[in-house]
Amino acid sequence: MIEKLQSLWPEITLLTAACVVMITGQSASAAVRRLSWSICAAALIAAGLLAYSTTAASGHALPHMAMYGKIVTCVVGLLLLLMVAGIADRAYEAEVARGKTVFDAIRATRGEFYAFFMFSLTGLMLCFGADDLVWLFLALELVSLPTYIMVATSTSKNASMEAGVKYFFLGALGAATFLYGFALIYGATGATNLVQIHSAFAAQIAAGGLNTIGIVGLILAVVGVSFKIAAVPMHFYTPDVYQGASASVSAFLAFVPKSAGFATIILLLSTVGWLPSSDYPSGALPMPVHAVLWVMAVVTMTVGNVLALLQTSVKRTLAYSSIAHSGYMLVGVIAGPGKGDDFASSGIAAVLFYLLVYGVTNVGTFAVVAAMQRQNRDGTHSEADRIEDLRGMCATNPMMGWTMVICSASLLGLPPLLGFFGKLPLFSAGISGGHIGLVVILGLNSAIAAFYYLRLAAYPLLESPDMAARTSNPITQVPVTGRWLAGVLSVVGVIALAIWPVTSAAKFGATYKTKVAVPGGQVAQGK
Amino acid sequence: MQLVDTVMSLLSLATMGASDAALAGGAASAHQLGAEPTKMGPLALLIPLLPLLSVVLITLCAVFKVKSKLPAWITVASLATAFGVTVSVWQQVSATPGAHVSFGYEWISFSWGNGVGQSFAGNFSLYIDQLTCYWMLFVTGLGALIALYASEYMSHDVGPGYNRFFTAFSLFVFSMACLVMGDNLLMLFLGWEGVGLCSYLLIGYFYQKPVAVDAAKKAFVVNRIGDLGLLMGLLTTFAVFGTIEYKEIFKAISTGYTSSGIALQGHWSGIVIPALLTAGAFGKSAQLFFYVWLPDAMEGPTPVSALIHAATMVTAGVYLIARMFPLYTVDPNLLVLSGVAWAGAITAFWAATIAMAQFDIKRIMGYSTISQLGFMFAGLGVLTTTGATFHVLTHAFFKATLFLCCGAVMHGFAGQLDLRKLSGVMWMKGWGIVGVAMLIGCLNLAGFAFTAGFFSKDMILAQAFVTPDTKIIGSSLVGWLLLLTALLTAYYTFRVFFRVFVGPVQYEPGDEHHGADDHGHGHGDHGHGHGAAHAPAHDKGHGHGHDGHGHGHGGEFHPHAPGWAINFVLAVLAVASIAAAGLYFVNKDEHGWAGHMMARSSAKFVAPGEHHGDHAAAGHTAPTDEKVADAAHASAGEKSAKDEELGTFLGQDPHKVMYYVSGVLGLIGIGVAFLLHKQGRTQAATSPLAEKMLKAPIFGTLAPHAQRKWYVDEIYNFLIRVPLLVLGHIFHIIDKLFVDGLVNLAGAVPVFTGHSLRSSQSGVMHRYAAGMAVGVGLVLLLAVLVMI
Repeated sequence: MIEKLQSLWPEITLLTAACVVMITGQSASAAVRRLSWSICAAALIAAGLLAYSTTAASGHALPHMAMYGKIVTCVVGLLLLLMVAGIADRAYEAEVARGKTVFDAIRATRGEFYAFFMFSLTGLMLCFGADDLVWLFLALELVSLPTYIMVATSTSKNASMEAGVKYFFLGALGAATFLYGFALIYGATGATNLVQIHSAFAAQIAAGGLNTIGIVGLILAVVGVSFKIAAVPMHFYTPDVYQGASASVSAFLAFVPKSAGFATIILLLSTVGWLPSSDYPSGALPMPVHAVLWVMAVVTMTVGNVLALLQTSVKRTLAYSSIAHSGYMLVGVIAGPGKGDDFASSGIAAVLFYLLVYGVTNVGTFAVVAAMQRQNRDGTHSEADRIEDLRGMCATNPMMGWTMVICSASLLGLPPLLGFFGKLPLFSAGISGGHIGLVVILGLNSAIAAFYYLRLAAYPLLESPDMAARTSNPITQVPVTGRWLAGVLSVVGVIALAIWPVTSAAKFGATYKTKVAVPGGQVAQGK
Repeated sequence: MQLVDTVMSLLSLATMGASDAALAGGAASAHQLGAEPTKMGPLALLIPLLPLLSVVLITLCAVFKVKSKLPAWITVASLATAFGVTVSVWQQVSATPGAHVSFGYEWISFSWGNGVGQSFAGNFSLYIDQLTCYWMLFVTGLGALIALYASEYMSHDVGPGYNRFFTAFSLFVFSMACLVMGDNLLMLFLGWEGVGLCSYLLIGYFYQKPVAVDAAKKAFVVNRIGDLGLLMGLLTTFAVFGTIEYKEIFKAISTGYTSSGIALQGHWSGIVIPALLTAGAFGKSAQLFFYVWLPDAMEGPTPVSALIHAATMVTAGVYLIARMFPLYTVDPNLLVLSGVAWAGAITAFWAATIAMAQFDIKRIMGYSTISQLGFMFAGLGVLTTTGATFHVLTHAFFKATLFLCCGAVMHGFAGQLDLRKLSGVMWMKGWGIVGVAMLIGCLNLAGFAFTAGFFSKDMILAQAFVTPDTKIIGSSLVGWLLLLTALLTAYYTFRVFFRVFVGPVQYEPGDEHHGADDHGHGHGDHGHGHGAAHAPAHDKGHGHGHDGHGHGHGGEFHPHAPGWAINFVLAVLAVASIAAAGLYFVNKDEHGWAGHMMARSSAKFVAPGEHHGDHAAAGHTAPTDEKVADAAHASAGEKSAKDEELGTFLGQDPHKVMYYVSGVLGLIGIGVAFLLHKQGRTQAATSPLAEKMLKAPIFGTLAPHAQRKWYVDEIYNFLIRVPLLVLGHIFHIIDKLFVDGLVNLAGAVPVFTGHSLRSSQSGVMHRYAAGMAVGVGLVLLLAVLVMI
């Protein structure tokens, strides 16, 4: 028990910070209120350091994944924290500062907003460290429930409310689906602990085959969790919600629930393992699960990419791109941990690394939308969300324009940027696992994706600014430092991590040593 | 984590150097091919990092709009420090035998299985042996000097242009360092592309001049063709050897088998890989069909021509072949090296004939660079890497001197480079150092007895006759062709000297009123407008036109004598050009200092099939001094020829006779130039004997054609550009009618799919929920179907 608690220091840190900012955010003193942001940042840094230094609890299915996941949570969490600065109460605080109103804690939302932000990140960390179905379910819900409110309160517009409500109800449907799956898994094995489930499944395989209830349970669980990662058939909400929420929160949605979902899928599938077969010598999942994931991967990346082609809104484009990226990552899940000890043939390591790559890069693109505003006819401001708004941005606002160009190119996977080095292991893992058809489809989809990513890159870079539109609806930078800073840091990450020993970065946290259970063998061979 | 280590160790460099030196012990020994390289401290990493730091600092200067000579001083300081570091690294490397590896960080390390050849490593790591040190010593040393020269030369551009110039300059040295120092072909390739990019940027420095922009594009495009060869060579190397790291490649060659067990003896890769790499080397070093870009590259500022297009970048091809020499000697027939020898000799001769008839002195130097590069390639081809690399070194010094002298003239005479419009420059006030430096450079280039150029050229010439024709096809013919070229070289070099630097004092300023580097118009007129060589009357009229132009600028023109920086650099370089001759007498038993260095690097020649024995010896016996001497002989092609007949020069020992032969040829060339261009010349534009010569039957008809550069540009235009353009138009039509249709069709599929899927995104929540439910149902159905 004590040992288990020790492995939870990072989560405890975040949770404590969440409770503290709930109070400071409502303080009567403006200085204390402003402190909330710094408290969150300090907690994230502290949690990252703690995650780096604490050892994983023994008995955890994938101890290295837990450690890696927690550190990535803190790194990307810091970028996201920069992005969400100034979302809560910006207008209200301005009113208070001008002396128009007196501060009223009831009307203020800053405390809740940062607290929910931290709660959600805590949930993500708990997901990475989960070793039990019940824990996993609670962690997943801890990730999601705060995000529903963050979406709804991220702007004062009705669209955000609508997005929040949609996200909540559909999320509940997804949660119901995977909870049903969890229940069936429990029914098939009589255990909730992942290690015990694994032994039960192993016994069934030894006795002649997996229990059908268990298989259906796994499939329902995976399909239900595909809501979190925005994969087909649970992807419908994505564009509406991303567009309705403010860009900073959309960036949050594109990383936090997605990472939680992938952690869950990897943990669940590790209970059956990736068995070597004659078709797939490097190991594949039980046939029905494999088939379902294969179809999901192909349909998800294709639907995401083709629908992204038609969009005129940057956020909607990025939402569909987020769907497509989930499809890419499913290839890594299908490929499994691979036979060798090496980084490039492990699909699981590829997925985990890709989460970091996608998280860092995606922040950059969303940061541009969050940092720029377009003045409407009536004098109010809205996010510069149309692709048109990007026109000639490299000339008018070089910093944000180039952020868009570089991050889009990286999402496309253009060498030598980070995105390329992220996608490479997905390809190599797929090939070494023998899933050639899947890899070909992945390649074709990357080509389709080039169309809209290059549009996002070409509009700021090659087009000249539309002066007429700029005078009637001027596009200016939002006076919040954190937003452009997040974009710039994202670009720094995209370039530095690529020039930097990329593979060392990937090996950081020893993800490639993440050996996943093979029936009959040891559950977790953390080496 | 490696970052921290690297930074920490860089910080503790001071102590590091001492401890490394203490580690080094034992006598120097011959390079053992395939022996595991010694690990080395991070000191060497500073050599590429210092110029990179300079790039960053000057970029900051540009951002803060610095309008002073600060960028120049940053560049000079960083390059001079890099030179100091190189010397120190060289000392360390000399103290321990064999190659050294200085590890920076793991950049790309990738594997897709545990099997042999299932991994790819391209690290930021340096491979340092004597060859590396040899190259970096003159790259950083000359770089620092030429940057100092440029600080004055570019002074009229202080401001954004100055910043841009020095950023590209430093970036060039960084790229060159990566090219030379990298421990794998990937780093070499990146450096290769990097120097190409910098060359492009600097040739096109005067981007408002269409000529400069065209020249930059030409250089870029021609180099791309060669680079394709290099890239394919790199990929083929990986495919065959399963690695691109030098140490692994050399290990495979020394054992005779690649790590995947392919026997290299008689394998196709022994010819294909060297041939592909050679294509890359030809592109960068302007050989054979690829030379056309280099003369045009003279549009860049003169310091750039001196550093990049004479001394360093264009010798990258020589470096590549010297570095990969073991690979070239896998093939028992040495076919590729025969090709290299012939290509070099033909290029040397060809370019020399063109140089004889040009009037633009900078172009003459450009053609002479091509010609001298030809000598180096011929040297590599006839198996004297020592001669080739020694010639690289001496050429680097004397050609830099010559270019910088031309630059000083150009700077002082408002861009005037026409040898018919300048005369007696040496006798003008303040031009003494330039004149003397020019004389020293010319003597070297002409191969005047006892100059450095004389000795280095001599080694190549002698070796061409020593190497038997059975080994390198037609080796002695290569030697004869090179001898003839040496004669022509002496003539065209002193043609410039006698016309421009001595004789009656006479000058006519160029188009640029104040020293800017624009000679585009002038050149355009002389090069293409009309063969003015044999039409003095016409030429005079032309001259008057220029005069009028000069007055148009207002005021009387005064030549602008060089300042301290230019004079200082010229003096240093002139002294260095003379001193380089001394290197021939250092380590005499190993054919001079260059031989000493090459014998301890991968450039050592080991006859095909002998790598294996060599390796075995490394394992069992400690290397002895005899071994060293032996290796040196091998590099002169003698060891391998022990049981074969050595070639002779008309029945004499070439090594002894060649001194006299080439010395006399040099004197004849100079003498002819004196008669034609000095004797009795009273004006800048013409000389009486030269006029007579041009009326003589054969020369008179050939000279104008040579002056038009044998129409190679026109032929290329006709054979390559025109057909490509026509083909382009045809393809354009096909593209419009057919391919576009296909592409649109292919593009329409996703778009159509998108449109049909779009209706699923209605925005109505209960439809989404229904969709999800149906999705779950379909997925379960699929699972059931699979299970059944």
